[in-house]
Amino acid sequence: MTLTTRHTRLVSHVCLIIALSVVAVPFVFPFLWMVSSGFKSATEIFGQPSLIPRVWRWQNYLELFEYQPFARQYFNSIYIALAVTGLTLVISSLAGYALARMRFAGAGLLMLFLLSALMVPEEVTIIPNFFLIRSMGLMDTHAPLILLPVFGSHGVMATFLMRQYFLAIPKELEEAGRMDGLSRLGIWWRIALPMSRPALAAVSIITFLFSWNLFLEPLVFISSLEKFTLPLALSNFTDSYGLPLWHLQLAATSLAVVPILIVYLIAQRQIIESFALSGVKG
Amino acid sequence: MADTLTDKTSARTWRAPRLTLRRREAIEAWLFVSPTVAGFLLFFLGPLVAVVYFSLTEWNLLTQEATFVGVKNYVDALSQNPDFWHVLRNSFVFAIGLVPLNMSLALTLALALSRPFRGVVFFRTVFFAPVVTSAVAWAIVWRFLLQGEGGAVNQLLAIVGIGGPNWLREPDWAMVAVIVTRVIKMVGLNMILYIAALQAIPRDYEAAARLEGASNWQIFRMVIWPLLAPTTLVIFVITMIGSFKVFDHIYLMTGGGPENGTLVLAFYIYEQGFKFFNVGYASALAMIMFVIVLVLTVIQMTLRRKDMR
Amino acid sequence: MNLRRKILAASTILSLAAMSAPVLAEELRFTVWTGGEAHLRMLNEIAESFKVTHPDVTVRFETIPAADYTQKLTFQLAGGNPPDLGWMMEDAAPTFAAAGVLMDLGPTLREAEGYDFADYSQPALGLWTDGEAVYGVPFSTSPFMIFYNKTLFDEAGLEDPLQLAASGKWNMDTFQEVARTIKEKTGKWGFEFKDGQGYESRIMHALMPPIRAYGGDVWANGECGFDKPEAVQAVQQLHDMVFKDKSIVPPGEQGDYFSGSSAMTMNQISRASKMPEAGFEWGIAPLPSGPAGESPVIGQAAIVVFERGEQKELAAEFVAHMTNKENVAKMAQFFPPARKSVLESEAFTSANAIIPPEQMAHVSDAIEKGKVLPSHEKSPQILAAMAPRVDALWKADADVKQALDGVCAAIEPLL
Repeated sequence: MTLTTRHTRLVSHVCLIIALSVVAVPFVFPFLWMVSSGFKSATEIFGQPSLIPRVWRWQNYLELFEYQPFARQYFNSIYIALAVTGLTLVISSLAGYALARMRFAGAGLLMLFLLSALMVPEEVTIIPNFFLIRSMGLMDTHAPLILLPVFGSHGVMATFLMRQYFLAIPKELEEAGRMDGLSRLGIWWRIALPMSRPALAAVSIITFLFSWNLFLEPLVFISSLEKFTLPLALSNFTDSYGLPLWHLQLAATSLAVVPILIVYLIAQRQIIESFALSGVKG
Repeated sequence: MADTLTDKTSARTWRAPRLTLRRREAIEAWLFVSPTVAGFLLFFLGPLVAVVYFSLTEWNLLTQEATFVGVKNYVDALSQNPDFWHVLRNSFVFAIGLVPLNMSLALTLALALSRPFRGVVFFRTVFFAPVVTSAVAWAIVWRFLLQGEGGAVNQLLAIVGIGGPNWLREPDWAMVAVIVTRVIKMVGLNMILYIAALQAIPRDYEAAARLEGASNWQIFRMVIWPLLAPTTLVIFVITMIGSFKVFDHIYLMTGGGPENGTLVLAFYIYEQGFKFFNVGYASALAMIMFVIVLVLTVIQMTLRRKDMR
Repeated sequence: MNLRRKILAASTILSLAAMSAPVLAEELRFTVWTGGEAHLRMLNEIAESFKVTHPDVTVRFETIPAADYTQKLTFQLAGGNPPDLGWMMEDAAPTFAAAGVLMDLGPTLREAEGYDFADYSQPALGLWTDGEAVYGVPFSTSPFMIFYNKTLFDEAGLEDPLQLAASGKWNMDTFQEVARTIKEKTGKWGFEFKDGQGYESRIMHALMPPIRAYGGDVWANGECGFDKPEAVQAVQQLHDMVFKDKSIVPPGEQGDYFSGSSAMTMNQISRASKMPEAGFEWGIAPLPSGPAGESPVIGQAAIVVFERGEQKELAAEFVAHMTNKENVAKMAQFFPPARKSVLESEAFTSANAIIPPEQMAHVSDAIEKGKVLPSHEKSPQILAAMAPRVDALWKADADVKQALDGVCAAIEPLL
């Protein structure tokens, strides 16, 4: 009896693993192919397909830094994503806290307005924002890449996530804080924020990835090579005639993807937990 | 931050006797939301109002000359330009193809991966990995994998005896290809959200249903699915909006081709505004996009509200 | 202007004073699409020699990759951050000239000492002049040539295009024949469209040469030429080569000439810089002639000055310097010139380090007889309108005439 249940369980476990492995192929294969092609020559990429390069071209990884200021562009992406994340955390948790915990005239209307922002794709406002940024003298600077995500629909989403989480914190804790003479700001900083680590973590991750992947805004606002961010830089490995330098492009793509993947692998348990705990349910 | 503090204390010492508790709270609350509101007005509401105005002009980005033309751009889009309806159709096909595929796959994976078993961490990691990959990298790689005869996808299909199409050169297959690759890229996020929601459902519910002799499917249908409703709504709205604003994926995988088969609204707006310099026309398109997304969201929310009652 | 101000004010809740980018008074910003070391070295040498007359002026060459060049330039212009001067491709010229963003260089060039503006070949200037106004000076007037893989031709036991041309047999029929034979005998592709992009970003480069060889044109005087019998015949032949003979690399496949997968391709001589590393014997030959005789096709790029730049007078003087006889001769090692005196000189045919003089002679010949690629004020829209109709053409079962009628229907309202 116990043997058969254990047996069926084992069988269903194996079936599950097999099914998941099949589904996993299109998720994993692109990464393997990308990394392996990054070591090939341009000719070999188009030759007989094989996951193991016939000749390992390590020099791809040197040439790509000579081709454009890739290290600088990499740094741009990192610092912009960090700035966006930091600003978003502060601003969205402040607003989210007020919307969750404080009663004020216009709160309902404000929510409605903000909600509408959630529904507007960046493409809708990119043209007026183009003129706005120009009139502010911020063309070809990183400012729009930081300001637009922080205050755009993504920032609004972060505000909502924070609001939902604050709603779930027991009010009694805040009452206690108030008894101790904490101001509102004090309560936000000393009580609400420390209790919302999972939500802050989830917002940080989503925000970082959002900024890291931003494509339309840099495409429109940035024109100097040394100010490019990674997504732009990756689509920019072309020779003097506009033809893609596939081997360099794929090597650079691996460089852009692999570190993030490693960070994700190391932190994946915490990441998934923070999503689970933050109750990113809206 | 320092400003906020001094403002508040000075307000307190000055006029504290006159301020009711409620009023003070309101002032503080507005201070808390002020950065969000300021940014919202400057980078969102202002531009949105501007788009309405732009959409009533004929405006060349390069010459920077504008003339007021009333609703001409809307009339052009809706009744003159056959491309518009084609583009709109593409956007809907993309959304209708992507949203159910994404959500059902996300839910299936979440159901399989919400309970611990040996290997669960590995699979969660695998399915989430494309989410952290830049869209540009993703598109670059898939464009290679989806080539005609030489592409890896078709070579894999050939092993099992299927002659794959020339994916990115046939309009319908190109649409399928961009939808599927986009789903693979983004499904991990929805999967995680579903896993979080599933883990929040108390085990007792399921146990009680099982005691009453409910099958797995019945448990899912009667217990789990209703409890997932709020999550499903959020996921639906986010995924739907995301599918309407897809730009980079299309820009890099097909450039809207072949035969305009993957030319979607977001890309079309970019093309009209920044490639053909028709700021006015592009703005009218943007307004139409805004209205569509708004209507879809409101419909879904009201339906859901009725459903809940 | 006023209207724009109002709109800006409406969209800007905070009014912020516009700051203009800080520019060194004596620096000219010059956008180019080459990142090649040899090219940049030569450009910097020319900038250096400008110091003889303008000791305080430096020129900074800024590389914008070719694929996004026109788009990025547009953003810089519309964003109020224009470069002082830059390269411009022929397909962008009419659009930018019509928008009034290009400075008229005519007065500066005609007054410049020893410049001899009349030395420029009139046909080469056609695209860049309007009456007395000169909106750009072509620095590269480069005909499309056939690049062939001699090794593959030998392997197939064929006379190569250069030999065929010498005996007057290099025409569209022999072109089709050799491509087919190559495919049959070697298994490699006979022909690859320019850079393998003939079905996407290089539609015009793929279709234009055969259509001209058959005596047609894609458009002229506001009329579409794709549906005329000459064009239909020409495109039918290409279509047969792709789908019946299977000798041209078909859509969605790779058959890179430079790595030896195709026996022929069509390109400009600047591309020859890729050949030394190719690992096979090669040569260049004229485009095959057709029923209408020889009709070389030329791609052009020019130097322009932007009207909104703050130092446009100085920039114009630099153009006059950069395109004087001496510097054009210098640039001729990479870029075929439009100055008659340089073109006819021995210096040009023997200046190229990679291409032997007798093949260069064909290049000079083509520049003299050739016509520039068609262009139009609405080029971006026309190309975008064409693209989906041309996609429909490149299917095995497509009816060529019908597809080309579709192209005309799509672009006629724009012409």
